Amino acid sequence: MRTPAAAIAWELRQRHRWGLIALLATILTLGGIKIVVLMNHTHPELGDKTFALLVPVPLTATVLYLLAVFTFGISGDIAARESMYPSRMLVLPVRSAALAGWPMLYGCVSMMLLWFAMRIAVIFPSAIDVPKYWPALFGATLLAWTQALTWMPYPARGIRIVVSIGLLVSIDIVVFTALENKARESTMLLLLAPFVPLAYVAAVSAVDRARRGDVPNWGLAERFAPAFARSAIHRDFRSAPRAQLWFEWRQYGRSLPLLVGIVLPVGLSLLFLFHEAAVIVIEIVVASLLAPPFTAIFVAATAGKSSSNTSDSYGITPFVATRPIEDRALVVAKWQTALLSTLVAWAIVAVAVPVALVWSDATEPILHIARNVVAALGRPRAIVLGLLILAALVGSTWKQLVQGFYIAMSGRDWAVKGITFATLALVTAGFLGLGWILDSRYRIAVAWGAIPWLMAVLVALKLGLAMWVMQRGFERGSFTGKQLILIAAVWDVCILAFYGVLALILPAIVVRRYFLLLVAILVVPIVRLAAAPLAVGRNRHR
Amino acid sequence: MASLQLSMTVAEPVIAVSDLTRRFGARKVLSSVTLQIPRGGVYGLVGANGAGKTTLIRHILGLLRAEEGSVRVFGHDPVANPVGVLSRIGYLSEENDLPGWMRVGELMRYTRAFYPAWDDAYAGELRTMFALDPAARIRTLSKGQKARAGLVVALSYRPELLVLDEPSSGLDPIVRRDILGAVLRTIADEGRTVLFSSHLLEEVEQVADHVTMIREGTIVLSAPLNEIKEAHGGASLDEIFVKRIGGV
Repeated sequence: MRTPAAAIAWELRQRHRWGLIALLATILTLGGIKIVVLMNHTHPELGDKTFALLVPVPLTATVLYLLAVFTFGISGDIAARESMYPSRMLVLPVRSAALAGWPMLYGCVSMMLLWFAMRIAVIFPSAIDVPKYWPALFGATLLAWTQALTWMPYPARGIRIVVSIGLLVSIDIVVFTALENKARESTMLLLLAPFVPLAYVAAVSAVDRARRGDVPNWGLAERFAPAFARSAIHRDFRSAPRAQLWFEWRQYGRSLPLLVGIVLPVGLSLLFLFHEAAVIVIEIVVASLLAPPFTAIFVAATAGKSSSNTSDSYGITPFVATRPIEDRALVVAKWQTALLSTLVAWAIVAVAVPVALVWSDATEPILHIARNVVAALGRPRAIVLGLLILAALVGSTWKQLVQGFYIAMSGRDWAVKGITFATLALVTAGFLGLGWILDSRYRIAVAWGAIPWLMAVLVALKLGLAMWVMQRGFERGSFTGKQLILIAAVWDVCILAFYGVLALILPAIVVRRYFLLLVAILVVPIVRLAAAPLAVGRNRHR
Repeated sequence: MASLQLSMTVAEPVIAVSDLTRRFGARKVLSSVTLQIPRGGVYGLVGANGAGKTTLIRHILGLLRAEEGSVRVFGHDPVANPVGVLSRIGYLSEENDLPGWMRVGELMRYTRAFYPAWDDAYAGELRTMFALDPAARIRTLSKGQKARAGLVVALSYRPELLVLDEPSSGLDPIVRRDILGAVLRTIADEGRTVLFSSHLLEEVEQVADHVTMIREGTIVLSAPLNEIKEAHGGASLDEIFVKRIGGV
């Protein structure tokens, strides 16, 4: 390695070698399938959903992986104000142009190679006119801008996420608009060509500012909560758990409400443009209601950290680990913070959505749905259904945060990032798989018959895991016998209550009772919650 | 009977490490370490970088679980009873990982909640002595100021055992010599115990009563400082270290 270019390439390759090997193996597997198929002299006519499972799912997962690798984003805090460019590299004796340029070049080339490899290795349905070059340039554009936006310092926490979503979606809209208008390959190339050089200029400027330590600060937290900031200096905490709750809240509790508060007005502002289009109004409201649980997935990945100083580590810092407090109390403080965070985020949603609907004069489509539901179910059941959906959304937000902590509390960076990617891939595959099943009546019948058995297996697995985790917790002193009995009793009560609500709104003719009970057992969490003190203990006392 | 119990309590070592072995992967970082630290005095733990000092200290704090052997602090297992042990220990880490977003005043209020023995007057005295502004954010402090802030919260509840892991790397020479030295001596004079890890041998020689040398995870020497010096013809700790361990 005689040049900085070679050294940067070596680091990227060495650090992510297993991921890159897995990527190569995937492409080779797809290529192998194609060779076998072609040797049989057949060209299978793939349905849309089968094709989707074979191409877009691995392609999307791979693109996400490459974005994370070449932005150095795998080891950073995406919501932070500071640049995510690794600080150790900022002191290398090379120009900012090289620091920004080489990773961008490697990333763009990788994205282009990925497209060409997929194009060669994958069997495309004959109905699709597969484009040759522009998807490669599109991938490079996405990567280059993601790099520039990731390396840029921002004046407030969370702004990076909003700016990135805004800019990348804008690029997508430009491309899809051109495709809708049947733009030719050459037009697409001309349209995309300026984006990469512009991203390069932005990235060099970003790295330059990061090197100078130039991080603007709007001081939102200080500006909008000066009384709180001042009072904390003079506050007397009643107990150690209260102090730990304050610590956790200040550390990450504000992230979810802040992000929801930033994202929600952007989405709800569309109501003023589309208030006459009922479908779009409903979509906007649904998206707004899904914003907290969806945002919670990303917040949880960084919230499991014990200190924002250790951006690349999920281990409990000695500062926290040496507090004279039980592992259980550390976990409880995180759970309470998650609950507080969830309630504040939902309070924002509860105020913002009705206000936006009324101001934009877009209430009619929502009221229309409400009237239909009341007419179909009757007022009491409709109210229970509404409350159940709301409780499910609020519970899901809290669960996303807590599950994220559980994974992060293991202290293993690869587990946190790996599970985030795996979850995204599973959700994508799940939706596509569902679509594939719904394509055929036979598949629907088979799947419908298998659902109770599948759920029974999952329930057995969950109960077995719960018993194992609780036994381990008891052996390690995380729980006493009485506490275990209390946890089991509370869990049972929650399941019965949930089952009761489900039974109230869904008549026995529609869904069998045992099925509702299985749903209740699967939905009410226990394994991950019970495992959290064990995970903290393992992280704290390695 | 009561006097017998009292004498046993007094005689009980503050730290008792027995046959402690620790591996990180294939590498053995601590090898059958046995160490007893009685109550009172300043104990210097010296060794080259990577010798195992921090790993030993992390076992004492319960941050690492003993894979082989045992660790007892005040007679308790620090992993099984973190509250009982950590509430009696003051700890200043070489990493100095104080949360950057906290203000100095918030750090003190937060830390106070965990220690019933926290002494407000003493904490204020230390903060004034170290010239720390309570409204200053930790991340805006210099390395030396951060170390001072860490020292204030580690001392303000008058812990029975103060553990300092390479604290001097963040302090300027004046703080090292005058303040740290004076503080450590005061603690020792009050009958409390200080475990002080460093590779700055001159500094250890100034404050330590007892020195333990560690090399490649093994204790090669552990004795009162004056006995060590006597046995080596009055040589400085630096010279003894080079002779026994072969340079830092």
